[in-house]
Amino acid sequence: MVLVSLHDVRFTYAFTERPALDGVTLELEPGLLHGVVGMNASGKSTLCALIRGVVPHFHEGTLEGDVQVLGRDLSDWDPADLSQTIGCVFDNPFTQISGIKDTVFEEIAIGLENLGVPREAMIQRVKEVVERLGLQALIRKNPNELSGGQRQKVAFASIIAMDTDFIVIDEPTSQLDPEASEEIFGVIDQLRRHGKSVVLVEHKIDLLARYADSIVVMKEGRVVMHGPTRDVLTSDALLDANVPPPEVTALARDLADAGKELPFMPITRSEAYQAISRRMEGRPRGHHTA
Amino acid sequence: MSADQDRGGAAIRAEDFIDGFRRPATQGNRVRDMNPISVFLVLGSLAVIAVAVPGIVAPSTVCVVLVLISLAGGVGRSFIGNFSRLFVAIGLLLFVLRSAFAGGTPVLFTIGAITVSMEGVLEGLRFALVVMAISGTVTLYFALIPIKYSMLALELKGVTPRATYVLLAAFQAITDLGKNARVIMDAQKARGIETEGNFVQRVRAFVPVLAPVFLSAIAATEEKAIALDARAFNSRVNHSHLVTLRPTPAWEVVFVAIAILCAVVACAGAVVPWY
Repeated sequence: MVLVSLHDVRFTYAFTERPALDGVTLELEPGLLHGVVGMNASGKSTLCALIRGVVPHFHEGTLEGDVQVLGRDLSDWDPADLSQTIGCVFDNPFTQISGIKDTVFEEIAIGLENLGVPREAMIQRVKEVVERLGLQALIRKNPNELSGGQRQKVAFASIIAMDTDFIVIDEPTSQLDPEASEEIFGVIDQLRRHGKSVVLVEHKIDLLARYADSIVVMKEGRVVMHGPTRDVLTSDALLDANVPPPEVTALARDLADAGKELPFMPITRSEAYQAISRRMEGRPRGHHTA
Repeated sequence: MSADQDRGGAAIRAEDFIDGFRRPATQGNRVRDMNPISVFLVLGSLAVIAVAVPGIVAPSTVCVVLVLISLAGGVGRSFIGNFSRLFVAIGLLLFVLRSAFAGGTPVLFTIGAITVSMEGVLEGLRFALVVMAISGTVTLYFALIPIKYSMLALELKGVTPRATYVLLAAFQAITDLGKNARVIMDAQKARGIETEGNFVQRVRAFVPVLAPVFLSAIAATEEKAIALDARAFNSRVNHSHLVTLRPTPAWEVVFVAIAILCAVVACAGAVVPWY
């Protein structure tokens, strides 16, 4: 069964003229980590909202085309069922906190309470998520008094705790430092390894290069490319969408432009190390130029 | 203490904290650990008695009882402080206004058009004491019982989570609006706009802040609703609760029954005078 299937989808928010999504055709396979990249206002968040059913169920507008989520037409989904089937982390950490819980531990458990999970199972699951995300130091704190980055981690944790098979994540690391971003990606990678399907909007392309199975590139509401991560990140379509490639890919491109092409186009640092090493092997000792 | 010992201690404390959710919530005080609905009924009964029983003895007694309950509940210092301020700010004002304009006999003294009588003084005193007793019960309730436990008790009695969320979020919104207003005021100050000084200057600085504060709150409400939906808030299964209240003991039931009985007798006495 296809995870998400969009065919010629066009969505225009109420009271606006320009469509946020325009002629989007896309198929996402289950069990993979799909990255979504694009400039600001390219339609990434709207794509996530559509997959999750937030549009048109919450945000009103005109939806045209065919949208299938987990084999069912989006209009056939009950919003309450969608919330139990697809986990969703939004990009604004300041509106992700319920505002009604006194401690982070309780905040992470709120989704489980809503799903009617028995108390002991709830405690165990929250404990596990707290440990996985390294939130032990925060569990007693009031979620309303956390920093943006801490809120983002807590919001992420509360969705992870719900243990849905399909998770849509919109810029989960926008307020996090590099170390915390790595931790979040580590958890997302674990989810994928456990067979979960993840759609992830992210600007940190170097991290997507390491973890994503496929990448969707968006520009002005359209999908300009979708394919395996390597194919997308080494393609010109990425540059045409004004999305900077991974730093090592950009370096390899610059080297190629300077006539010093690497044996293959790297997308991660480890690949870059291999590519440069391989090229260096063909050079006499003490020769420092690549 | 070594870093390992420190980490070990923190882990044990965290485990204790988590283990606390396996037991009924406690505030470490027998009065405050009463079921919020029981506290509401007892305090409500006291307010009814203060209103129903004529004269100044009942509302005065109720005010004293409220202070005693606050002391027993371990919130005496904050409650007595707040209650005293209420007495001075509102009680005194109500007493003076009521006494001045109630009329009656015998006349004690006259200042211009205002004639103060003994009847007026007694009526003013009763009115002020009744209002103080009622406001005291409300103040004491919120001093004794955290709002989240009140809502939890209501949910356990069948009130929908949606209704309790609205109430809880409304209380939190007051705090959030205050915080946002302070942030905007600080930003204004950083831009060189005068936000301090006399009352008029402060009002002039504060009024323009209201629009962005409320508009941002409205915008955030929609996003919060969606974030809540993402956490299955609208699911149709019965919600479970991480925090639980302790079962109501027999003594508490008896205590509440006596309080309600007293209130009923006081009301009956108001209809069929028994004094």
